[in-house]
Amino acid sequence: MTRLGIFVDRKTLSNSEQLNALIRCRDVAEGMGHDVDFIFPVDINKIPGMDALFIRARTDPMNVTYVAARMASMHGIPVIDDPRSIQICSDKVNMYSHLIKNRISVPVTVFLSKNDLTIENVTNLFNELGSPLIIKEPSTSFSLRVEKVHDITGFFRVARRFIKLSDWIVVQQYIESKYDWRVGVLDGKLLYACKYTIPSDTFKIQASVNGHIVYCGVESVSPDKVPPHVIRLGIAAADAIGSGLYGVDIKNNNGDAYVIEVNDNPSIESGEDDCYPRIFEQIVTHLFTK
Amino acid sequence: MNTKEIDSPPHKESPEAFPPAPLLTSDAIVKESGIPFDGPYFRKTAVKANGKRDPNMIKDSLFIIRRGDMFHIISENYAFKTETYYSILRYEMEGKPVRPSSSAVLDAYVVPICLERAKLAGIPVCTWGISQGYTPLPAIIYGLNYFATASDFCIVRDNDEAKDAIKHITNIGKYPFCYQTLDNGATVHSCIGIFGKTARQCNAVSLLAEKVYSHFSIPLVTMVFVKTGEQYRLSSLAPVKYSQLLGEERTLLAAYLSHQEFL
Repeated sequence: MTRLGIFVDRKTLSNSEQLNALIRCRDVAEGMGHDVDFIFPVDINKIPGMDALFIRARTDPMNVTYVAARMASMHGIPVIDDPRSIQICSDKVNMYSHLIKNRISVPVTVFLSKNDLTIENVTNLFNELGSPLIIKEPSTSFSLRVEKVHDITGFFRVARRFIKLSDWIVVQQYIESKYDWRVGVLDGKLLYACKYTIPSDTFKIQASVNGHIVYCGVESVSPDKVPPHVIRLGIAAADAIGSGLYGVDIKNNNGDAYVIEVNDNPSIESGEDDCYPRIFEQIVTHLFTK
Repeated sequence: MNTKEIDSPPHKESPEAFPPAPLLTSDAIVKESGIPFDGPYFRKTAVKANGKRDPNMIKDSLFIIRRGDMFHIISENYAFKTETYYSILRYEMEGKPVRPSSSAVLDAYVVPICLERAKLAGIPVCTWGISQGYTPLPAIIYGLNYFATASDFCIVRDNDEAKDAIKHITNIGKYPFCYQTLDNGATVHSCIGIFGKTARQCNAVSLLAEKVYSHFSIPLVTMVFVKTGEQYRLSSLAPVKYSQLLGEERTLLAAYLSHQEFL
């Protein structure tokens, strides 16, 4: 009997849908004949006893999920998300560098170090990239620390806040869209696709509006209804990062598709899989055949 | 951040090889070169070749030494998302061999990973565990979160000390922490490794410093050890400020920077 560890952190479980998805994943794996253990941070030393590890918690190279991923990789245990994917996807400077190096279409992107934060440079950015601009702190997730700015004053207000958390920040051309495509990719193959509908009062998939958190709408879309170039771009972007599990966000604006980001540890609990009932089965199979 | 690139004489590379990046967009690079990453995409502080024997080790200075094909990056702090980290990443993205690697510095500064990796390399390490609120006593404890640094550790010997320290390093229970139990009579020591060498340390510590360097390749690092009897076990690796260097350590580092010591 093979043992699958599912790494979870109760501190980052934020709703019942996530809990239900974990239970569904466990049931699927058990149905395939595997033993399943939920592994919490305090159980991290159990990882070397597993045959595979599936991380379902917020990833960052500075937190306990990275410890779990490295523990698995150091002991030769197949793991999703692998540490390299966490390292790349948790840092937008690193992630966009990989995408650009592999000629993936992204919005015009500039990295600024704190020494580059001058009025002259920022003026040039508005001149070259237009207004508004998007500023991202590199380790943002769930659209936290992503801001839209319209002028130099606004730029410095946001940039100075972000530069306290990172010596470099990311500045991007703004691309408008009513929804993002999310293309789920596993080992270079399409796993699922869905639309994330952007709430009308924000430009992010998740935002705080008047003190309330608003979430994007999720609509699972079957592969035949997804533009083929969006699927191709999603797979190419995932391949630029690695061979694990990724959720690629794509804006398809007037036929021009741009990768907005590649996420490790993509959400699979909000209906993304409605048209793809075998997602967990495919993930578990992948882990045990690596 | 001051950056100085220092080449060994036989492999001198003019600073023009990495000119300061203009404010370029990725699109502009694609248009100009046809190769999206084959340009000065990473912005970089201006680089000076330094032939002086006593390079200025001032706060935030970053030195890059080239020996053969290998680039060695010397800095006070290699932490995630720092200028130094991005300098390493830039070399990696350009396919240039660089030490330390970005994955090695991430491993080194996250205490449980550091210890597991060191253990697998045959370096004696402290026994560790991860907890959300409890620690066996006495123990040495480290934060395990985005804001934690291995430089900030607490030695706790009783419940009151432990309660206060855990509250502090976990941000009032928000994050887990790493504990390492201390045997009776154990003492905690730290020393600075400079390219795997130490100044005025016993043989046991010198050997461990060499092993730590051969495995993590971090030129400048604080090593924290727990000593029980005659045995030293690694507890963590942490950044070093140039201002912390004692006379002999400063001389040793200066010797590497000016090529009097060979890698």
